[in-house]
Amino acid sequence: MLPVLATILAGFAVTFNFFHAASVGPNALPLLTSFIVIPILSAFMILAAPVQWTRWISLFMASMELGIGFKVFFIFQTAVGGFQFVEEVPWLKNFGINYILGVDGMSALMVLLVACVYFAGSLISWNITLRMKEYFILFSLLVGGVAGAYESLDLFFFFLFYEFAVLPMYLLVGIWGTGRKEYAAMKLTLMLLAGSAFMLVGFIAMYFTSGVHTFDIRILGDLAKTGFNTDFQKFWFPLLFLGFGVISAVFPFHTWSPDGYGSAPTAASMLHAGVLKSLGGYSIIRVALPAMPDGAKFWLPLLVTLSLINMLYAAIVALKQKDFKYVIAYSSVSHCGAILFGICTLQVAGLNGAIIQTFSHGIVAAMTFALVGTVYGKAHTRELIKLGGLAAVMPILGGLFVAAAMANVGLPGLSGFVGEFLIFLGAYKSGYHGGFTIFQTLFPIAILAIVMTAIYYLRLVQMVFYGPLKDPHYKDEVRDGTFIEILPIAFLLVVSLVVGLYPKPFVDMSNATIAPLIEHIRGFK
Amino acid sequence: MINYSAFLPELFLVMAAILILVVELFLTPTSRRTILSWIAFLGTLAALLSLSCLSGSCPAGCNLGNGTEVAFNGFLKTDGLSLFFKMVILLATLLTLLMTFRYFKTHNTPYPAEFLAILLFSASGATALTSAQEIITLYIALETLTISSYLLASFMKKDKGSNEAGMKYLLLGAFSSALLLFGFSYLYGLTGTTVIAEIAKSLAMQASSPLAVFALILIVGGLAFKISLAPFHMWTPDVYEGAPTPVTAFLSVASKTAGFAAFIRLFWVGLNVPALQPVWVGLFGVLAALSIILGNLEAIPQKNIKRLMGYSSIAQAGYISTGFLAIGPMGLTAVLFYLFVYLFANMGVFLAIVIVSNKTGSEQIEDYAGMWKRSPLIGMVLLVCLLSLAGVPPFAGFSGKWYLFGAAISKGYVWLALVGMSFSVVSLYYYLQVVRQALIVDPKDSSPISISPLEKLVLVACVVITVTLGFWPKPVMDLAQAAASSLF
Repeated sequence: MLPVLATILAGFAVTFNFFHAASVGPNALPLLTSFIVIPILSAFMILAAPVQWTRWISLFMASMELGIGFKVFFIFQTAVGGFQFVEEVPWLKNFGINYILGVDGMSALMVLLVACVYFAGSLISWNITLRMKEYFILFSLLVGGVAGAYESLDLFFFFLFYEFAVLPMYLLVGIWGTGRKEYAAMKLTLMLLAGSAFMLVGFIAMYFTSGVHTFDIRILGDLAKTGFNTDFQKFWFPLLFLGFGVISAVFPFHTWSPDGYGSAPTAASMLHAGVLKSLGGYSIIRVALPAMPDGAKFWLPLLVTLSLINMLYAAIVALKQKDFKYVIAYSSVSHCGAILFGICTLQVAGLNGAIIQTFSHGIVAAMTFALVGTVYGKAHTRELIKLGGLAAVMPILGGLFVAAAMANVGLPGLSGFVGEFLIFLGAYKSGYHGGFTIFQTLFPIAILAIVMTAIYYLRLVQMVFYGPLKDPHYKDEVRDGTFIEILPIAFLLVVSLVVGLYPKPFVDMSNATIAPLIEHIRGFK
Repeated sequence: MINYSAFLPELFLVMAAILILVVELFLTPTSRRTILSWIAFLGTLAALLSLSCLSGSCPAGCNLGNGTEVAFNGFLKTDGLSLFFKMVILLATLLTLLMTFRYFKTHNTPYPAEFLAILLFSASGATALTSAQEIITLYIALETLTISSYLLASFMKKDKGSNEAGMKYLLLGAFSSALLLFGFSYLYGLTGTTVIAEIAKSLAMQASSPLAVFALILIVGGLAFKISLAPFHMWTPDVYEGAPTPVTAFLSVASKTAGFAAFIRLFWVGLNVPALQPVWVGLFGVLAALSIILGNLEAIPQKNIKRLMGYSSIAQAGYISTGFLAIGPMGLTAVLFYLFVYLFANMGVFLAIVIVSNKTGSEQIEDYAGMWKRSPLIGMVLLVCLLSLAGVPPFAGFSGKWYLFGAAISKGYVWLALVGMSFSVVSLYYYLQVVRQALIVDPKDSSPISISPLEKLVLVACVVITVTLGFWPKPVMDLAQAAASSLF
């Protein structure tokens, strides 16, 4: 216990002292590059160090990463807005590729999210013994990829980092997974990369059509008025959406997600469900909406339909699952539908809701997957029929799971509520601007999905934790969570509580991105 | 007076080859393999180093010229472009020599001298091809390359597969050479010259004639065979499987690179006239798409890793052809960069294959199980190099494909880029089958695989280059751009 806390504090201390100069300013240390380099460096350090150091290195580096995440979050100036901490290095001039990192309000939140989940994931992987070194190397590389994708402002690097994250995922699921792991790993990899194939062609088409030959997202966003005509947008928006939609598991491209999360090792599920999947919604807001507003508006009916199917269908399927982890996996798919629904409102409130929901879903899904993994590690089964009454033997984990379930359902006071509330507010409001009145009739359907979320989560809580203890052996064999197991889950719960109780700074941050974006989109017919 | 600088690398190669044949007579069978290999190695290295002197910017300061050397009335011209091609070919030859050393430890041959000499002759043909400015010179260089390759493919005399490979390669290769020569003869008849640049001038002044189109089709068919573009690819898997593994590696990189050099000289210079260009661009579009589709689909059911690499190389030729269609500096840069990337990725895989089958005696994919335990380095090489071939970031194949498809899209071939990208995903499936065996599956036999220090160095170099070029392609891109500028 003490060494763990000492390592975490040491990590923080290094960040706060060493990176102290790294505020905004001309002599700043590259804060955002460090955010990508730290996990990758961690992978190399683990590779070189003796095996018994592995998890300590990982924890230390993850604490540093968390420190940077907090720094970015706190130093970011909401009132100023725009992209901050920008780092720009020319890469390949003739191809218009530059290494540009920068965060605005939305990505600052995502950076914090990545850091939180990396930290929690490092702790939750503490007891991995099989091929431990390789596990932590791949896990760190995965984080490096995700971190880069959220910070990149150049489409080349965005794509590079994103796909860089997919590869470790394949091996993590394939080697350390459970169940039909190799099938799941292959399915996940192929589906994600198939989606990104279309995305890539779309990016290159944007590059050449723009006329200025750049992959800079900031410039491409501004080109919507002059560079990309309506026909171009109508043709390319669906292709981009195909890529982004596969990432965020939009129906009917969601099938990789339940299998993948069902099989993946705990920390990989946490990171993928919580962070990597959100990249889909994030990139719609970051790339597709600013550059192709007409295309987005043209395809909006389809998007809304898909998002509603996503929410409802995944919720119904979650209700029928027999495997503990699959319920959570489908629940995560359903939540991503809500995020897409929020984006479709094209309203300030709705888009802010989508971003807060992305952040909240990241934290909450990570927490829930961590709980499932911990319970599975103790009960050695995930079949709901065999589980039951576990609260008697693991009261703390049981209590935490109830809290996680409530956060998923959207209980006020926890983060899930804020996001969902804003999404529905946006959906309701969107009728008043002569835009898309159909929302007012549709959003009861979306509310229905929320109700179903409550049903299947309560069912889950009841089946797993309450009632009589199904397996009498559990009485003697199963112990409650240890400090090292509780710590990451409790940490995530605290984050969720903070967002739920005091959402203002978070909403302000996302609004710093969304308000100008909506202004930009309004400029189009 | 003959300008020897224009064919200096070829001179080194041929001299080394002759030296090997002579020296062999005076050596005892026990010691000769090492000595001969060293001669071959040093000869190739000298050829490689001479490239930097020829480029006019030698770091050691021993410049032989300013980058362009002409000999034989302009029939042979070594410019920046051919220097780049030569570099790829000679690097491939060096790596092939390294594999040869390991390969003949188990596959004993009584004729190591002949093998090495023929390999060097073959390499000299390939490098000469890249400077040929005239169709007969081009044809002679090509035949030096391919006739040597027939011999190399069938070199394991007692091995049925090797014999089959050699025979198939010879029959089909001779046929395709005949087609090519037939096409050339029409070209000569139409224009009255054999110099490629003159052909272009003469064709530009003529009205479009069906004979020119006919010649064009013959030439495309003949050359497409050499770089195994579908539907002229049938020989590839059989030859790749049967030939000695170092030869397969040589064919897959050096021979292909030389083929593309010939393509660029002939089509971008000689046949780039308004009347003909749409015809061959259309033809190549179809061939590229077919190669990408067929190569990737047929690779899926393969059980033998060399056969798999055969189909993979068909698909890779298809990708490179995509960039070849985008006539212009951007397309050429992309093609050159991709060839360089392809060289290290493919050679890394083949070196791993040679080392593994040296130990296990098997080329089946399932016998690669548990490489993570038996030799983590080989597991890593397979992961990095195969995924680079699939075009997954952060490996160099990704940047390579980005430029290739980028160049294609810039000329309006969006459909081809879409085909290429979607079938890259298909290719990922079969590459991952190998990676799965190597990194996920537990070993059946967990005895470690020993790797010599030199091989270790080369394997690590392949990994490092493949990863670094994914993140930092600039050095090679600059080189490729400079090379491309010699044509535009």
